Amino acid sequence: MPILKAEDLSKRYEDGVLALDHLNLEVRGGEAYCLLGANGAGKTTTINLFLNFIPPTTGTCYIRGTDVTRDPLEAKKYVAFVSENVMLYGNFTARQNLEFFAKLGGKTNLTKNDYYQVMRRVSLQEKAFEQRVKNFSKGMRQKLGISIAVIKDAPAILLDEPTSGLDPKAAEEFLEILAELKSEGKAILMSTHDIFRAKEIGDRVGIMKEGRLVMERTREELQCEDLVKIYIDYMKSEPQTA
Amino acid sequence: MLKTIIRKELLENIFSYRFPLFSLICVILIPLSLFINNAQYAKRLRDYGEQMRLSEEATTGLKVQDVMAGRVAMKGFHPPAPLSIFAQGFENALPRYYQFSQDGATQGESSSGDESLLSVQGKFDFAFLVQMVVCLIGLLFSSDSISGEKESGTLRAMLSNRLPRDVVLLGKVTGGALSLWVPFLLAFVLGLLLLLFGSFPLFTGGAPARIAVLAAASALLILIYFVIGMMVSTSAAKVRTSLVAILLIWAGFQLVIPKLGDMTAALIYPVRTETQVALEKSLVANTLDTEAAKELGRQYDAIFENAKPGTGDDLNSPERKKWDSLRERIQLDVRENKARQLAAIDETFEQQRRRQRNLAIDLSLISPSAAFGRFVADVCGTGDLARTKYLEAVRSHQKALDNELFSKVKRTIMMHASGRTTMAFQAQPVDPKKLPKFAVAEASLGEAFKENIRSLAALVLWLIAPFAVAYARFRKYDVR
Repeated sequence: MPILKAEDLSKRYEDGVLALDHLNLEVRGGEAYCLLGANGAGKTTTINLFLNFIPPTTGTCYIRGTDVTRDPLEAKKYVAFVSENVMLYGNFTARQNLEFFAKLGGKTNLTKNDYYQVMRRVSLQEKAFEQRVKNFSKGMRQKLGISIAVIKDAPAILLDEPTSGLDPKAAEEFLEILAELKSEGKAILMSTHDIFRAKEIGDRVGIMKEGRLVMERTREELQCEDLVKIYIDYMKSEPQTA
Repeated sequence: MLKTIIRKELLENIFSYRFPLFSLICVILIPLSLFINNAQYAKRLRDYGEQMRLSEEATTGLKVQDVMAGRVAMKGFHPPAPLSIFAQGFENALPRYYQFSQDGATQGESSSGDESLLSVQGKFDFAFLVQMVVCLIGLLFSSDSISGEKESGTLRAMLSNRLPRDVVLLGKVTGGALSLWVPFLLAFVLGLLLLLFGSFPLFTGGAPARIAVLAAASALLILIYFVIGMMVSTSAAKVRTSLVAILLIWAGFQLVIPKLGDMTAALIYPVRTETQVALEKSLVANTLDTEAAKELGRQYDAIFENAKPGTGDDLNSPERKKWDSLRERIQLDVRENKARQLAAIDETFEQQRRRQRNLAIDLSLISPSAAFGRFVADVCGTGDLARTKYLEAVRSHQKALDNELFSKVKRTIMMHASGRTTMAFQAQPVDPKKLPKFAVAEASLGEAFKENIRSLAALVLWLIAPFAVAYARFRKYDVR
């Protein structure tokens, strides 16, 4: 059974803009699905719909079989989220942020050491554990963001352009953690502009254009194809659903 | 989950610059206001004691002749309200005393003449601080409660979890309110300790209960403003927008609506001034007195026209007996008629004033600050209720003095047909010790609650309605 599933999902905003047009998508446990596309292609809208941040116009999102719109609280039990700019409380320390979000994620009986362990796992510097995050670099914030997802231990992880703005080393470290999570059986749906890293981490890569999924390739298919060329070609062409 | 949000809100507030700043403001201003007002209360109390002593001395050797000649002023002094140190209300605006005479009570000057122009805009007391300063800070605390999280994106992070939105709002209200209440109440307790050192009668009578109600009402108002701020914050996408809206709301609620309420009521139900009413009463009294004097002169002339000289002084002569009985009847008629007509003028004036005041109260309830101000002034014995009690005491004392003192002096003025005017006095002995003492009954706490049901209902409404609006808006909010 797929952990993440979008069924005929559409979203038209109040201003009339069709942000998502009949999207069908499935992500299984241990699989990473990368959504590529220009700004406004519908990648973030897809993630927002999975998180029930906005209601769909038509269609349904399922997380581990739970209809997100009907039972959002139950569905959110099974999903963790990492955004482009990991949003944290600047006046809290890294550990306090992690503790707060862990508790929201239902992990109430963890000790300080548990938090430290997770932060070590994502390679956050030890000295930063008890430092206020307002002075953290983007890379450190992303690491803390992924540690929040790790500590929640949800079967699905949604990532909205998580490597955007990261230096190559930080992005590489980030992908290593994602690969680990994938190997643990997590279903990963990641929206990104980063074609190279999408190819590196994604078991499947989809290209979105004007709200439609216009192309989908598996890792195997991409072994003998040039993803950059495919991407540029699709960006130039009229959108047709894959 | 709720506990987690509350804890987060508390920590976030404590770690921010606002919390120590707010604590400092409370710790400095609240005890300072209580200290200053206690010193002023002590001064008023000393003045009151001195005035009472002088008044007692003046009435000790009182003779009816002194009253007739106007040598003794019968005064009733308004005792200072101890809890005026928390909310001054009408304390300085009410007349310090009323002077009683056969012609009725006239008010003395008020203490507000000693004040500076700036203090007229709001006295530096606990109630003022709560309304103007603490509530503004409460609004500022909540200005970014939701919009700040929207702007920074932490709301997305929070709501990506299994977190119901009502829990977010409840947690924010509870955490935010606790962050405000704790330093505020600590400063309040500090102020009370300062009062104890300043020999303030903190534990006499119903003071502890009233102070507790005052603290609870203040905490409620702070919560109301916090919730109003949160309502604005849920509607605004940016902190800057909510800040502007919040400042406008604060200015409207604190400065505009309460004053506009009074002005609108005066416009809808205009009421004559006290001077106009006093003039009308004086005119009516003079007219009746003149008519009575003419009638008495006419009757006197008719009875004693053909009588021998000196008959008027012979108490046993039939003419004198007839005159005494007739004079009694005419004077009684005039007294009753005058009392009736003057009471009717007073009643009409009171009715008009009550109607205007009620409308002003109703209009001012649009502002939670005005509702709070009215309630706490009544709790502290310096509000509308205290004014009503003072006026009731004046009326009742005037009546008592009419019976016990002024009725012992009978003055007969006659205007004869010849144009001659004669005057005669009759006086009965009076025991000054038995004269009634002027006392103003203190309104009970129960009366304060009863009198302010509308204000309390407005406060409750101001708590529920913004929260309901905030909840409705937040539930529908699309997290983007």
